[in-house]
Amino acid sequence: MTTLPRPSLSLPGRRSAESPPWGYRARRSLKVMAVYGMVAVALVFFLFPYFWMVVSAFKSPGDVTAYPPVWLFEPTLDNFRELIESMGALSALRNSLIVVGLSTCLALIFGTMAAYALARFNIKGKETIALEILMVRMLPPIVSVIPLFLLARKFGLFDTYWILIAVYTLMGLPFVVWVMRVFVQEIPRSIEEAALVDGCTRLQVLFRISLPLMLPGLAATVVIIFMFAWNEYLFATMLTSSAAKTLPVVAANTVKPRGISWGLASAVGLLMSIPVVVLALLAQRYLVRGLTFGVVKG
Amino acid sequence: MLAPTFIVLTAVGIYPLGYSLWISFNDYHPSNPSFPQGFIWFENYLTAFLDGQARHALGLTAIFTVSSVGASLVIGFALALLFNQRLPGLAIARTLILIPMLVTPIAVGITWRIMFNPDLGVINYLLGLIGIPSQGWLASMNQSLLSVIVVDVWQWTPFMFLILFAGVRSLPRSPFESAAIDGASRAKIFFLVTLPMMRPVILLAVLLRAVDSVRTFDQIFMMTRGGPNQTTDLVSLYLQRVNFKFFDIGYGAALSWLFLILLMAAVIAFIRYSGFLRSAAEKEAR
Repeated sequence: MTTLPRPSLSLPGRRSAESPPWGYRARRSLKVMAVYGMVAVALVFFLFPYFWMVVSAFKSPGDVTAYPPVWLFEPTLDNFRELIESMGALSALRNSLIVVGLSTCLALIFGTMAAYALARFNIKGKETIALEILMVRMLPPIVSVIPLFLLARKFGLFDTYWILIAVYTLMGLPFVVWVMRVFVQEIPRSIEEAALVDGCTRLQVLFRISLPLMLPGLAATVVIIFMFAWNEYLFATMLTSSAAKTLPVVAANTVKPRGISWGLASAVGLLMSIPVVVLALLAQRYLVRGLTFGVVKG
Repeated sequence: MLAPTFIVLTAVGIYPLGYSLWISFNDYHPSNPSFPQGFIWFENYLTAFLDGQARHALGLTAIFTVSSVGASLVIGFALALLFNQRLPGLAIARTLILIPMLVTPIAVGITWRIMFNPDLGVINYLLGLIGIPSQGWLASMNQSLLSVIVVDVWQWTPFMFLILFAGVRSLPRSPFESAAIDGASRAKIFFLVTLPMMRPVILLAVLLRAVDSVRTFDQIFMMTRGGPNQTTDLVSLYLQRVNFKFFDIGYGAALSWLFLILLMAAVIAFIRYSGFLRSAAEKEAR
């Protein structure tokens, strides 16, 4: 029914051209209803868990574990209050913002420089370099977390911002390098050459001419590397203990040996999702490009 | 201009990996009183080849990845075609459907664990309304793997959808028009026109998804920690236990390296087979 990617609505096939117009119209409205029906099913499946998390965040401990589940209840902010007062959510939020913010900036600066060099200058073996950078993306965190943990201890970086900033910068680099490489390639060389002829230095060309043209690409990459660093748990929990603890660690701490605090877990999940959802929806147009390393255009 | 990237890559990426390789040739038990125990050549690797638990974890990871990626490919493709209709309201729905991939994996794991709860969970409640008896889900040995796959499919199908939708959108119109004029059936158009034209995008989406799926840790760690009875004990969870429960760091490093080699071989084989980097390079050359 929906196997035609380009809708046949405007392009009736042979058979529908033969049938009388009223039959065609009836079939068409049936088809529209079927499409909306399937969209509704998809929306329920993909949104219900998120909806449930949001609802549970505002439930009191009695309501959240009630069975059968309650749909109408008196909303409370107690979960958020407890997160701040006894789970250290505020300092974790500060840590998250510092670590994720700094690492995003560093990855952007370093990555854009590398992407520019790879796209514009003749460097030997640049395909290999680009591929090696991409391989970082494929590295399972569980493999690199143990040596990083041991090295962090050795160098006194354990439970500091620096170790997490370094790790998240590394995590973000492949995205920045690959996506920005494509964006740089799309800037016509003639523009830059004209600026060079007019007396700009190479750096001035980068900052005054090319960078403004790359802004959409930068926006998309920022969202993606922000999202991955913001949501990252394994490194955050293994490389910190208390001083540099970030939000995902607080989220995981709501699971205690004697059981999960359902309301608290939902509240922290909701809080953490807000910035990512807002950013991603704002940069939605460019998300595809970022996520596919610039290969697929959105 | 490449220098900063290289410094980060070397110091945070390659150096720790090299350190891990060295550890993998050592008996490294920080919790034992005789620590450090010293160089033992390939003993860790020999142990790994005889480790049934590791093979079990590898098998589970393969099942998990193949079924999760397969299911999200089918659903994601169906959604991409569905949302390609020009009807009012679909643009908003398309945006909303992306939410699962934006939620913190830890929170996803906890939320689904709450919903999967056999006694108080909302899923069993809703199923009860339509007459389906309560299921054990994560607590049941038969359903735990299926349950964690469902969660992975839920979270990452939007990612698949996003890429495939972009692909479907950029398909040229004329081949479909000629096929329709020639009187090809819808099934024929799908299998003989749409699929071949979508091949590069599908391969890329599958590769990116598979690489991420293999590394899945957070959600499953929150939901089952590999249980019950190790029915969801994927490689990443087994490695976590070897390192942080048994403190057998040397052995963990050896397992990590074997896993890494297998993974790289799989990725390279896939890239060779699909020729997807070649097509990307051709695109750049133009």
